[in-house]
Amino acid sequence: MVTPIYIVAVILGLAFLLGILKSSMTRLGSILMIGGLVFITFVSGQWLYEFLVNHRATDIIYTAGFLPPYAINLQMGLNEAILTTMINIVGLLGGIYLLDSLKKTGINSMAIFIVFVMSLNVIVMTRDIFNLFVFLEISSIATGGLILLDNKRKAFQAGMKYIIATGIISNFLLIGIIFSYYFASSLNIDGLIAANLMSIKGGAIALFTIYVSIILELKPFPANGWGIDVYTASNPGISALISAGSATAALFVAYKLMPMGGSFWLPYFAIIGAITFIGSNLMGTRQENPNRLLGYSSIGQVGLILMIIGLSPYLGKDTLLIGFSILISHYAAKAGLFWLSGIIKSKNIQGWSALRKHPYLLFLFGTFIFALIGFPPFPSFFGKWNLIMALAAHGQYAWMTAILAGSFTEAIYLFKWLGYSIKLEVPEDITIKFEWNKYLPIYLMGILLYFMGMYLAPFTEGGVYINFLPLAFVFLLFALDFLPVYVKNTLSIAGIIWYMVRLFPLLEHDLMREIFAGIFLGGAVLTLVAGYAKKGKRPGFYPMALLMFSGLVGLIEANTLLEFFFSWELMTAGSYFLIIRGKRSMPHGYSYMLFSIGGAYAILFGLALAYASGLNISLAALGHITQLTTLAYTLLAVGFMTKTASLGLHIWLPGAHGEAESDVSPMVSAILLKAGVFGLMLLFFYMGTGTPGSEKLLYVLGWVGALTALSGNLGAVFQEDAKRLLAYSSIGQLGYILFSITMMTQLGWLAGFTYTINHFMFKAILFLVIGGIVVKLGTHNMYEMGGMIKKMPYSFVAVLISIIVIGGIPPLSGFAGKWLLYNAVIQKGWYFQGVVVFFAGVIAFLYLFKLIHSVFLGQLKDNHRNMKEISAWILIPSYILIIGIMVFSAFPQWVLKPIGNMLTVYFPKSLYWQGTRAFTSLGYWDGTTTMIVVVTAFTLLLGWLVIASKKVKRIGQFNIVYAAERPYRPETTHVSYNIYAGYKKALGFLVTPVVETFWENVSDMVLDFSGWLRRIYSGNMQNYALHVVLFIVVFYLIALGGL
Amino acid sequence: MGYIIIITGFLLVLIGLWGILSQKNLIKIILGFTIFDTGINVVMVSIGYVKGKTAPILDIISAKDALKSVVDPVPQALVLTSIVIGLGVSALMLVYAIKLHHDKKSLDINNFKDLKW
Amino acid sequence: MIKKILIIGLLAGVGLIFFNLLQVYHVPTELNNKLGAYYAENAATQVGAANIISAIVVTYRGFDTLGEVTILFLAASIISFVLKVRKEDIVSDRFTSPNSEILIYSSQIIVPVIFLVGIYIFINGHLTPGGGFQGGAVIASGVLLMMLANPSMKVSHNLVAFVESISGIAFVVLGVLGLVLAGGFLDNRFLPLGEFGTMLSAGALPLIYIFIGLKVGAELSNIIGTISYNQNEKNS
Repeated sequence: MVTPIYIVAVILGLAFLLGILKSSMTRLGSILMIGGLVFITFVSGQWLYEFLVNHRATDIIYTAGFLPPYAINLQMGLNEAILTTMINIVGLLGGIYLLDSLKKTGINSMAIFIVFVMSLNVIVMTRDIFNLFVFLEISSIATGGLILLDNKRKAFQAGMKYIIATGIISNFLLIGIIFSYYFASSLNIDGLIAANLMSIKGGAIALFTIYVSIILELKPFPANGWGIDVYTASNPGISALISAGSATAALFVAYKLMPMGGSFWLPYFAIIGAITFIGSNLMGTRQENPNRLLGYSSIGQVGLILMIIGLSPYLGKDTLLIGFSILISHYAAKAGLFWLSGIIKSKNIQGWSALRKHPYLLFLFGTFIFALIGFPPFPSFFGKWNLIMALAAHGQYAWMTAILAGSFTEAIYLFKWLGYSIKLEVPEDITIKFEWNKYLPIYLMGILLYFMGMYLAPFTEGGVYINFLPLAFVFLLFALDFLPVYVKNTLSIAGIIWYMVRLFPLLEHDLMREIFAGIFLGGAVLTLVAGYAKKGKRPGFYPMALLMFSGLVGLIEANTLLEFFFSWELMTAGSYFLIIRGKRSMPHGYSYMLFSIGGAYAILFGLALAYASGLNISLAALGHITQLTTLAYTLLAVGFMTKTASLGLHIWLPGAHGEAESDVSPMVSAILLKAGVFGLMLLFFYMGTGTPGSEKLLYVLGWVGALTALSGNLGAVFQEDAKRLLAYSSIGQLGYILFSITMMTQLGWLAGFTYTINHFMFKAILFLVIGGIVVKLGTHNMYEMGGMIKKMPYSFVAVLISIIVIGGIPPLSGFAGKWLLYNAVIQKGWYFQGVVVFFAGVIAFLYLFKLIHSVFLGQLKDNHRNMKEISAWILIPSYILIIGIMVFSAFPQWVLKPIGNMLTVYFPKSLYWQGTRAFTSLGYWDGTTTMIVVVTAFTLLLGWLVIASKKVKRIGQFNIVYAAERPYRPETTHVSYNIYAGYKKALGFLVTPVVETFWENVSDMVLDFSGWLRRIYSGNMQNYALHVVLFIVVFYLIALGGL
Repeated sequence: MGYIIIITGFLLVLIGLWGILSQKNLIKIILGFTIFDTGINVVMVSIGYVKGKTAPILDIISAKDALKSVVDPVPQALVLTSIVIGLGVSALMLVYAIKLHHDKKSLDINNFKDLKW
Repeated sequence: MIKKILIIGLLAGVGLIFFNLLQVYHVPTELNNKLGAYYAENAATQVGAANIISAIVVTYRGFDTLGEVTILFLAASIISFVLKVRKEDIVSDRFTSPNSEILIYSSQIIVPVIFLVGIYIFINGHLTPGGGFQGGAVIASGVLLMMLANPSMKVSHNLVAFVESISGIAFVVLGVLGLVLAGGFLDNRFLPLGEFGTMLSAGALPLIYIFIGLKVGAELSNIIGTISYNQNEKNS
């Protein structure tokens, strides 16, 4: 074992040696520098290995041959080993990354660089407070020097600000140290802890000055203008080191000095951390400079970890695990992002779209963003999960809210940025050169994130059950992304089918899960089949689609709250990437993500309350919520409703579904929305009707469902865009589902299931076919279409059958849903809501007519004369689904009877079956007979028509008299353009975008507030010094004002 | 005596802070810093002061009597370190000031606001 | 104006902190701080240095001192790369007013004395008030005087860098020798403690102080030299 003192000795020896080298010997210099960094990484790594594998005891390193407190001692334990290894790795990688800059600036800068890394090591290891001060000074002076690496003019200003601020801070630290010495006769941290300064008169003031300095070193909001400028002005390679290395060390200082003050100071840590976390992220929302943005984000993350330290009494022994999980994510992601910034060299975040030409870098960028927000499978996901669970277990709801609010503000700008880089035009003035020394560190940090996520998962309660198999498949597809579409498509389909075969026996006749598994995976296969119509490579599509499906299947498989939320987040991530692939989808993907994250946090809060109620991680805990029961169920319901796009939370859907690619729309509409339904059903199952507050909640949600149905359908009526019409129709249909299941009766739930299955089938058909037509015709606008019936007869039949189902017209299964729904409404006595729903049903006819009429009937447009039928690859899955519809319509008992039986466990039985006939107290319905009658009648009629049509005079499709429209300027004369203008006059007030306006105002308010807030960063260094002193005084008056 | 020293130290700190926070000229700000540093150092030394005792150097005092006749050596040792650090920081600030002046031909602190928000 | 009032308010706040500290401060009449008392009692026997402060600075808290030296080193390095001037930017005939004869000639007499005093101070650092930093600073002041007397004088960068590096490395090597041969990093007792109060006493302590003195002297001279040389840069 190499004692860690050699980290200091070797680095200083090398640094002094570098001083002799002639300025031309940069090559030797860089070899020495890298050699030194490799050596110290080896030393700390070797200790880490010893602690992890051989469980070695903590080692104390004495200097000068005397014991503490008489001489300075260092400590090397597991924590120190982890942190020094982290620091040295980022130091080594950063050194490699910066080789060119360092060579250019000269050998001196190399010496400064390694001394900087070394000082961070000592800051972590030292157990002497004055020694800590000395090495903090070394690190800040070295920082002050490294900022100037590129000799940019702005860097001098930043450097001056930095030195002034840290100068004030360190002088206050000295006051604290000398008075601690005066009161406690020791400079050793352990000695000071033992002396219990808080019990000594005046000790609290000494502690205050120490703590305030350490906190200020962490750049708390708002006294941190000097810190942000450093991130902005220095070479991104240096910023990476400051963000990942210095912050890590400084946080550990706060952690190790924490026991000196006992519990009195912890709430202040937490409050300052929370203010920093939220405030800093809020500032970020208006920021466009990537380095500055990363600075805000860094400071925010550090605030979060400071908060965790402050909340340690609630987190107990998990404090370190939670803190580390979040720290390592921040560390790797921030280092990676800064390094990326150094490659891209763009002055604003819009320029990052240059990454589009470099898919692997773009992938890493996405990885870093998702790791920062806390998505699975990254360590921060587990960190945040554990944090929220532990806080909930102690009833610390305010802290939970603060953390989630801060995380959300962070998501606001990070996803805006990610969206820019995926969607904006590639800027011409930015070219990314390949340099191995700059690529390698970024790649390694990306790999580290995945590795650490897997490594840390089992440390979380329930984490051992997480199934990483689907994720592995996603990775495989990503690795094979260079293959052509048909290979990847086949592989994906094969994988999903294999998984289905494996999964179904495991579900053990849990009917609800079987149905949803069928929808998720069966739907996946069918919609993927349509993908054969695509040519080329479709880069990035398959990993992301499969990511979404892995999330969906994970929901089915989840037995614990953790697995459920893990899968939920995977699904969100995958679907986000699918949605944002559409040509004009940037804003829609963004709003989808924000609603999803907001919803996910509501769900997380609810799950945490469930966990806290019995400290039970299993999914069944949802059935026994005793902490804030009503709030918990409300939050969970709202969270799930963001995915079902219920009224108020629906504004993301029309754009997201309407603008998505033709085979993505069915995925996100027919399949993805059902995840929300699954969540709601699961929730209501567990909640039952007896839970306090559930009656009211269900009543409110019932109204929400009914109104959603109405507003969704109304929205569809006034659409001219075919896909948006379908999207609004989805909102309406999901409204029906929500409405049905909130009734909490057997009939209601049967209706809900029927609507769910129907919506899955017809919406998949409609989006596939209409999507195919839209692509083929090159327009979304229905008034530019028409007369397609002869060109695309198969499409017409498919659409016709689908709209019969939506319309709820016998004999198809839509009628079954309606019949069940109205029976349920009458049985439940929800007449007013029933009227709204009924009204919505009438309106549905309007848009259905508009859809089929304007696309297929009417006059063929001049430029569409040579159109052919859409691709068979789209029609095949559609017709398979039509077969499904037919079977479900003719033999509903095959599905509904078992569901009904399952439901009797929960609800009183009110639907009885006799053969093919279903009875309720109100009457009966026979799907099979209806089907036979209607089909017979239809066949007879059709036969008669065919015979009779021989005598009819045929009118060509271009006959103006017949069509009542002109083939040109269709937007004014197309028969179905603005067809419902009259209704719009009557009902238009119902579709005024109240909800959109509301959310827009919310977002404007946030941005305005942030814009106002950031004026404090006036750029004047004296003001920043003032902020620092102000922070000290205010903190003092609040904490110890009474002394 | 001890009180006078420590109060002087605190006053120097306040004077230095006043200079840092109110002066517009960079050089004056840096001077404010050195006054600030000096104040801190004076406070540190005064912490080690023991009434009527002498410097902890055993030239005339024998080692046995040391405990009875010297002031606390620790703050003096710390102050040495602190002075050197202060020197390093001041030197660095001066160099920054040189470069900033070179850049804008001005030492007015209000002229260096290129980075903000 | 509002800002002035705010500043005064802030200073009053800081003053309040100090006032509260003063209330608990009292001047002791006995050395009753345990740590200080331990050093007063044992430094002479354990480290062998008559100057207890030197014993603390170089041995007990030698690790801090290493850090201190590092800070000076950093400052010098930063300054030399920040103020690096390209040869083509140098104005050779910068106008300087002629120095007075008194300065020029007296400096020739005083500078060697200053150097001598500086060396004396750091060689005797373990016995008398003084030590490496003080001695080094005195030496650098000699260099400064030379430069004032002759503004066009250049400090030989190579020489300074050589002294600086070698003494720095020697310091680290002595520290490691302490680790290998005695009780820990920077332990001075791998050399005999010698007779208390004489020049060759206190183990490696004087040796370390000599290197610190040389290093500090070289670093400070380096800083002065770099700043002075930078004056010759053309105004762009």
